[in-house]
Amino acid sequence: MAHAAPPRLRDLGGYLAALALTGAAATAGVTAEPWLAAGNIAMLFLLAVLIAALGFGLGPALLAALAAAVSYNYLFLPPRLTFRIGQAADLVTFAVFFAAALATGGLAGRVRDAARASAQRTRTVSALLDASRALSAAATVDGAAQALADHVAAAGAGAAVVLAPDAGALRLVGGPAGVDRLGEAAEAAAQAAWREGTAEDGGWRFRSLEGVHGRVGVIGLRDDVSTADDDGLVPALLQQGAVALERASLARAAAENQALRDADTLRQALLNSVSHDFRTPLSTVLGASTTLLDYEADLKPAVRRDLLQSIAEEARRLNRYVRDLLDMGRLEGEALRPRRETVEVDAVIDSALTRLGDQLAGRSVTRETPPGLAAAGVDPTLLEQALINLIENAAAHGTLGTRIHIRAGEAAEAVCIAVEDDGPGISPDALERVFDRFHRGGRPSDRAAGLGLGLSIAKGFVEAMGGGIVAESPIAEGRGTRMRITLPKAAP
Amino acid sequence: MSRPRILVVDDEPQIHRFLAPALEAAGYEPLRVETAEAALREIARRAPDAVILDLGLPDMDGKDVLSKARTFYAGPILVLSAREREAEKIDALDLGADDYVEKPFSIGELLARLRASLRRGAHAEPEPAPVLAGDLVLDLALRDVRRGGAQVRLSPKEFDLLAQLAGARGRVVTHRQLLTAVWGPAHVEDVAYLRVFIGQLRQKLEADPARPRHILTEAGVGYRFMADEARD
Repeated sequence: MAHAAPPRLRDLGGYLAALALTGAAATAGVTAEPWLAAGNIAMLFLLAVLIAALGFGLGPALLAALAAAVSYNYLFLPPRLTFRIGQAADLVTFAVFFAAALATGGLAGRVRDAARASAQRTRTVSALLDASRALSAAATVDGAAQALADHVAAAGAGAAVVLAPDAGALRLVGGPAGVDRLGEAAEAAAQAAWREGTAEDGGWRFRSLEGVHGRVGVIGLRDDVSTADDDGLVPALLQQGAVALERASLARAAAENQALRDADTLRQALLNSVSHDFRTPLSTVLGASTTLLDYEADLKPAVRRDLLQSIAEEARRLNRYVRDLLDMGRLEGEALRPRRETVEVDAVIDSALTRLGDQLAGRSVTRETPPGLAAAGVDPTLLEQALINLIENAAAHGTLGTRIHIRAGEAAEAVCIAVEDDGPGISPDALERVFDRFHRGGRPSDRAAGLGLGLSIAKGFVEAMGGGIVAESPIAEGRGTRMRITLPKAAP
Repeated sequence: MSRPRILVVDDEPQIHRFLAPALEAAGYEPLRVETAEAALREIARRAPDAVILDLGLPDMDGKDVLSKARTFYAGPILVLSAREREAEKIDALDLGADDYVEKPFSIGELLARLRASLRRGAHAEPEPAPVLAGDLVLDLALRDVRRGGAQVRLSPKEFDLLAQLAGARGRVVTHRQLLTAVWGPAHVEDVAYLRVFIGQLRQKLEADPARPRHILTEAGVGYRFMADEARD
């Protein structure tokens, strides 16, 4: 760990300090000898031993005791300046040095070891906490894998890579920046570890990551780093990482399932729509045409004409249904790439009304565009279809004679178009679901209104162009509905 | 002779738009209603000769309309239904509908079914006269079945089954109705019996049992005995 000196160097320092302390005691003894009794000098050495013991632990204390005994004997005990021991009583002094060193050094060493261990534990716990925070914050498999690789690397492994299964193959999902693939040998080793639990090659040691429900990935550590570290940080990280990976991949699977279920629900709704809503116009076309074929001679000209008319109407209705389903398919397939053109909305309203043509027979349509209205930056085709859907909707839900008012305007950063009708309006709870797919206002079997896709397509198109749409009802005297779309202005 | 009155019950105005002139051109007098409530009222008040009933009505389940109508109306009821709503069709037949036509339908098919139902209405009692179907002569009263003049030997169950089908005169008879009538109410689920006996009947009565022309399968619903070979 970067913040602690390597053990060897730290110990050497202690031994050097022990020698220095003894030297200082000797110097002080020599200097102060004229004023001191022989016993007092021994106390100076004892002091050095005690300091060394308290400060640096047992080893340096014993060295200090040895050095103290030697230098005390050499410098102060007769015969002076020899290493010979004068009298047996001096051995007692030396024994005291060693006893003090042993007792104090052992005690201090234990205290210091405990403190060091506790600091180490604190670091381990805080590293684990950090990792745990990062891992639980990771919402994706890649995020969890990267967090695991980073924290294992920081915990002393130097560098770590994480691989997880993706679409049937192991994929590198986390590792040091710049490493985006492993060598062939390392890849093969990772595969082997995925199958067998551990493997090494290509400079990496791989081991499998075991989640609660099974194997979730493989982690590779540089093969010069031990994972059996004293404090167990790396194994603990691996365990946490495996659980986080598992959780992320389960979440991914759940999201994929949800997406599949959503797609399935839509498919089901489309099928229901095709089978129910297409059958009525088809019944009319088939019934009216076979009536004409079988009974042409017996039918009055006006009736013949009405039957032909109904065939044409229903064919157009079928065509609208097909268009809606295709539009829905475009929105669902996310293949929609709206163009951004400078568009005069007035011209688009024109073309929408022209295309609606006969469908608006019996409805009074009025419009209002302020002079000098800013252009919108949108896709004219999508906007036209969205408008057609809104107007069709207004016409379908009003009675014959319904007034439809189309009002263009401008807000701060947006061009607005509102389609208003004076129909019965929409109840507040229905207002929330009005843009839902297959939501139909009125009674459930009211097929006159269409597939119930028009408004959700309009919303999809408008939003794809960076705009928004809201429904408001009632708008006047408890009646009427307003569909208001806002569109981004064209870039100046 | 007054024209038979046909009550059409459908919530789709477009259906009425072609059914009314078609029924009229075919010699009927069409009456039209769009809701179940109006249907029950009109059946009670006008006593139509037959009812064409769409099962998908806004105000009431079609099956409820049927069971309510059957408490006071004995005439033929023809049901309009979507192909995939098989259970609904079967329920309707078991509740007393005479036949069904799948939407979308050609007018010829609907009118053929309507004629078959009206025939049944005209002869509500089992008909003593022999049933003629191609080279088949079925005398249900005498339990005598002949094909090309030669007597065909049928087991009692085979005959009972054939009698049920032929007695319906072109209308579909559901699995449940056949099983109840021939084997008893305890066997309503034993559709496999039916398949076996229908197979045996076809062997004995059809020119080509693999492509039957008289004993026809209505997939998932039941069987239909067609006297004339023409089918729309």
